[in-house]
Amino acid sequence: MALVQTDGLTKRYKQGDVDVYALRDVSLDFEVGEFSALVGPSGSGKTTLLNLIGGLDEPTRGKILLDGQDLVGMSERDRSQYRLHKVGFIFQAYNLVPVLSALENVEFIMVLQGRPQSEYRQRAMDYLARVGLADLAHRRPKALSGGQQQRVAVARALAAGPRLVLADEPTANLDSESASDLLELMARMNQEDGVTFIFSTHDQRVMAKARRIITLKDGQVHDIRSGTEPLHLD
Amino acid sequence: MNIGTWKQTPGLAWRNLWRNRRRTLITVSMIAFGFALAVVSIGLGDGGHNAMIRNAIRMGDGHLTVQPRGYLTSPANYRFLHAGGEVLAQVQGAGLAGRVAPRVSLQLLASSATNAIGVALQGIQPGRDPLHDVLGDSLVDGDWLEPGDHRGLLIGESLSRKLDADVGNKVVLMAGGRDGQTISQLGRVRGIFRTGLDELDGYVLLSDLALARQFLYAEGATPEAAPLTRIAVFLDDAEALPAAKTALADAVTAREAVVLDWQEMMPQLVSFIVVDDVGNYIWLVFILVMVAFGILNTILMSVLERTREFGLLRALGVSPAQLLTLVLLETIQLAIVALVAGWLLALGGHAYFAIKGLDLSAMGEEMLMTSGAMMDPILRTELSAGRVTSLTLLVFVTTLLAGIYPAFRAARVSPVAALHE
Repeated sequence: MALVQTDGLTKRYKQGDVDVYALRDVSLDFEVGEFSALVGPSGSGKTTLLNLIGGLDEPTRGKILLDGQDLVGMSERDRSQYRLHKVGFIFQAYNLVPVLSALENVEFIMVLQGRPQSEYRQRAMDYLARVGLADLAHRRPKALSGGQQQRVAVARALAAGPRLVLADEPTANLDSESASDLLELMARMNQEDGVTFIFSTHDQRVMAKARRIITLKDGQVHDIRSGTEPLHLD
Repeated sequence: MNIGTWKQTPGLAWRNLWRNRRRTLITVSMIAFGFALAVVSIGLGDGGHNAMIRNAIRMGDGHLTVQPRGYLTSPANYRFLHAGGEVLAQVQGAGLAGRVAPRVSLQLLASSATNAIGVALQGIQPGRDPLHDVLGDSLVDGDWLEPGDHRGLLIGESLSRKLDADVGNKVVLMAGGRDGQTISQLGRVRGIFRTGLDELDGYVLLSDLALARQFLYAEGATPEAAPLTRIAVFLDDAEALPAAKTALADAVTAREAVVLDWQEMMPQLVSFIVVDDVGNYIWLVFILVMVAFGILNTILMSVLERTREFGLLRALGVSPAQLLTLVLLETIQLAIVALVAGWLLALGGHAYFAIKGLDLSAMGEEMLMTSGAMMDPILRTELSAGRVTSLTLLVFVTTLLAGIYPAFRAARVSPVAALHE
């Protein structure tokens, strides 16, 4: 069984009197350990799809299953718990809590999960070391570069032990070198930990690393190909 | 919530509070200053009121008074405790901690060679009545009354001038008695006092009980029964008043007598204090409104600035209730810091005004005399634990209430909308 299954997923917004479809009948499966990219022009539905899979929003129609658990119809409280235990998020920017140190940011989700201090402290240090930032554990985000902040976000997302990491344009605000380093890191984590990564991206380097590229256009799946095939956007 | 979150949230709230240090300090200063102002204002108000009450009791008829039924509403020379001696024994037998002063109070005509004036005669026990402590330092001429001096009179300075009666001069006291007869008694001025209050200096004479009782005999009293107009009780501890009143009411069984406390004896003073307190409360409401809006502004701005961050927290799995708690904790911590600072300021202000006081003597005698009671010319703060605790709680609750709307605002942040702002 696939880790994530969407079936006829539709998201409609009202803009004045007009119905706008951010997603229309999207049915996709994501397997355990996938490293996949959602690509497409702005407004194609990439972020909307990530939000729905991540339990940040509810679809107008359709199903979303993660590990067989149906997200549709969940209460706000249950969706908070779902995100807390099953999903890690990496955003384009402002990923970290500004008043917490790098170490505390990595610990944050594990503390919410109720893990004992001995466990969350050790795991946080381990993941900070894996992303190469053990020496900067006590620095606050404003004392870290953009690339370093994203690394901390990766560590935080994975230290909490999610089934799935959703990354919405994580390299968009980074210089080339930082972006490449971050990508290498996430690819390595994906292989070492077996955590599924789904990206929303315009970045060719991300697409190059992805093992599956799903192209969205006008809220629908336009194309699905493996990461080695050339991209076509009509 | 789990223990980890409880440990983390207050620390997170504390750090959030100091993100914008200047704004937080300004808000803390505003609340602290407002609180200190309220405390000093209440302290001065209570100090003034308490001084008035103490003076009224000292110069009047004590914390408790035993007097004839109906005398309060219709005072008259013919209303007195016929069995004054028996009632006095019952009062003394009540075992109250304080002083007991038997008195005869009469409305008379005082005349000298040059003038005749309506006066109030207060017959007292010269060696033992607390009025000696009140007026003793006010003597400007002559001496205080001696026990056993049945003709001696103490008169006020302006009365002395009106009657043209100096120390050693005679004054005739007259009153109508039962059956329409006129009773007169001769007195001799032993001393002249000046309190600065025309209500005393121009109107009151003091004499021994024996002289005053002569007028009661003309109203049908018998000497053996030792008639009195009232018995004033001055308690050592004013806080013991309620219990003392109950004990006295149980002890005084004479049907002609009634036990009254100072509030019943001086309702106009009580009314004045109540009305004056209303003014203080209005001022207090103004301060609380200022505090509330200050808090609301600070916390709400802080929440609105962090919309995206709240979206991030919600995405990570923080529930709306946890966000609400976080913002409320920030509000509570702000209130605590502000109240600690306010307390330090208030204690400083209180110490200053408790020691140095506020000099009101320039206001003049008329302004210092209110509702039959005298304010001290130097106004000092007096703080009761109850009042200050109430004020602290009031400011704290006001702060908390002001933080509720921003907290709900934070809890209702939509993660999708917030993250893509």
